[in-house]
Amino acid sequence: MRESMSAKKKVSQIALYIVLAIIAVYTVFPIYFLFVNSFKSQKEIVASPMALPKTWNLQYLKNAAEQIDLGPSLFNTLLITVIAVTVIVLVSAFTAWLMVRNKTKASKALFLIFTAAMLIPFQSVMYPLVSLMEMLGLKNTAGLIIMYCGFGLSMTVFLYHGFMKSVPISLEEAALIDGANIFQVFFKVVFPLVKPITVTTVITNAMWIWNDYLLPFLIIGNNDKKTLTLSLYYAKSLSGQYGNPWELVFPAVLICAVPILVVFIFLQKNIIEGIAAGAVKG
Amino acid sequence: MEKFYKRWFNILIIPALILFVVVIIVPFIMGITYSFTAWRGSYFKGSEHWWGALAGVTNYIKVFRSEKFLTALIFTLKFTVVAVIMKNVASLAMAMMVKKVGKGKGLFRTIYFFPNLLGGLAMGFVWSFIFQNIFSLVLFSEDSPIHIPFLCDMLQDPNKAIFAMAIMATWQSAGYMLLIYLNGLNNIPDDLYEAASIDGANAWQRFKNITLPMLMPAFTIVFFLTLSQSFKMLDENLALTSGNFGTRMLSLQILLSTRENTPANYGMAQAQAVIFFILIAVISVAQVSVTKRKEIEA
Repeated sequence: MRESMSAKKKVSQIALYIVLAIIAVYTVFPIYFLFVNSFKSQKEIVASPMALPKTWNLQYLKNAAEQIDLGPSLFNTLLITVIAVTVIVLVSAFTAWLMVRNKTKASKALFLIFTAAMLIPFQSVMYPLVSLMEMLGLKNTAGLIIMYCGFGLSMTVFLYHGFMKSVPISLEEAALIDGANIFQVFFKVVFPLVKPITVTTVITNAMWIWNDYLLPFLIIGNNDKKTLTLSLYYAKSLSGQYGNPWELVFPAVLICAVPILVVFIFLQKNIIEGIAAGAVKG
Repeated sequence: MEKFYKRWFNILIIPALILFVVVIIVPFIMGITYSFTAWRGSYFKGSEHWWGALAGVTNYIKVFRSEKFLTALIFTLKFTVVAVIMKNVASLAMAMMVKKVGKGKGLFRTIYFFPNLLGGLAMGFVWSFIFQNIFSLVLFSEDSPIHIPFLCDMLQDPNKAIFAMAIMATWQSAGYMLLIYLNGLNNIPDDLYEAASIDGANAWQRFKNITLPMLMPAFTIVFFLTLSQSFKMLDENLALTSGNFGTRMLSLQILLSTRENTPANYGMAQAQAVIFFILIAVISVAQVSVTKRKEIEA
């Protein structure tokens, strides 16, 4: 009896592994395509899309890098992402912490408004926002960063708010009695304790900003301040009048994905755990 | 202590407040106001100020008479239903399998999560190649042993395109939703299942009477996220079909609306944006309150 049970269990485990492996292959399949087709000519891509390239020709990657102005685009994207994410995380963490510690009606009302604003989709404010930014002379990279900060706040404050409740206030009191000022209390006591949620907010905000198409499209347009995604969009749409230029699109997409790939490989454990932590509290 | 926090609250809240007011509150109020005017983007028709160009509900009437808007609205609703179901079924099934598997949980979670990090526009280009060349010409073509007409030329037909877009969207976000469901599953105590087995409950009864009710909190979150994701989707729509062949979703409709009339009618585009906000707010609030009630019942 026991033997047949364990045999049955073994079979079901093997079946599980097979199904999960098939899903894993399916998940990786578009990335495999992206990779092998980045080294082929248009003709070869269309003729044998699934095969490995006959020769690992780097000329298409080189051409794509030129077409999307890799240097400046990468720099612009990095600049915008790093500044915006830093501001979003610091401002949100501070705000959420003080909202939790300060139990006045004003503080509660403010939290409610911040949370409710998560329901406002970007599309429903984008036209007036662009017009406002134009009036303020901010239809440029600085304005773009400000807008990302504003839009990132709601969700990030909400996530930190859930987490800050678990920080014991006695630790903060002890630090204050030892003569620490508010910034020291925050950076030395509070901020290290909420590290899991910081990982979550950094990742989600960074991915959103890095990959965003719409906001740069509305604010920057087709000039030398383009971000990577925007350059990709213009490279494809400007050369795509006669069918799809796959020998340009595949390597260009690959170039845009490589930085994400590298970050993910190094930080995968933190990322997965951070997202899971945020999901529970959120 | 309280006074200390209160004093600093009043000072340190200012940066967040300024950002919030400038980027969200002011444009939001401007948007509602302008939707009742003859706004042309850089000027108001016949006046220097918005109050000189008030147009009542003309913009809204025009929107509800616009075939493009109504088509986009219906298409968006259909897509949302399909995508929410596909994402939830796929991620829950995957989460249950990952939970049951002995070794390699971490590896599977990592692989499934990865597509989430890649851009919707960039990967949309890759998927458009997959749908056009791989699905239609190789895997499921007439010459293939597994010829499935439904999976050929999916991007040229509005009904098939719903599923093509949902396939890509599920590929992207199932790994994220899986993490939330997996967390929910891990919070269900094992003895509940043991007790049910002793009482003679079969696998389906255990799933229906234990797993589903205990998962309601996770379900609330996943449902909320997938619903708003799907309803607002833009990048994938643009990359896969550019909204051609009657596949335009509301986000793309709002974006293209100002490019299709001369002079560009921003007032009318903004009226669509306001309707878009109301729809998403009503749907989200209704969904959360319904699933929350189920949570309490469970």
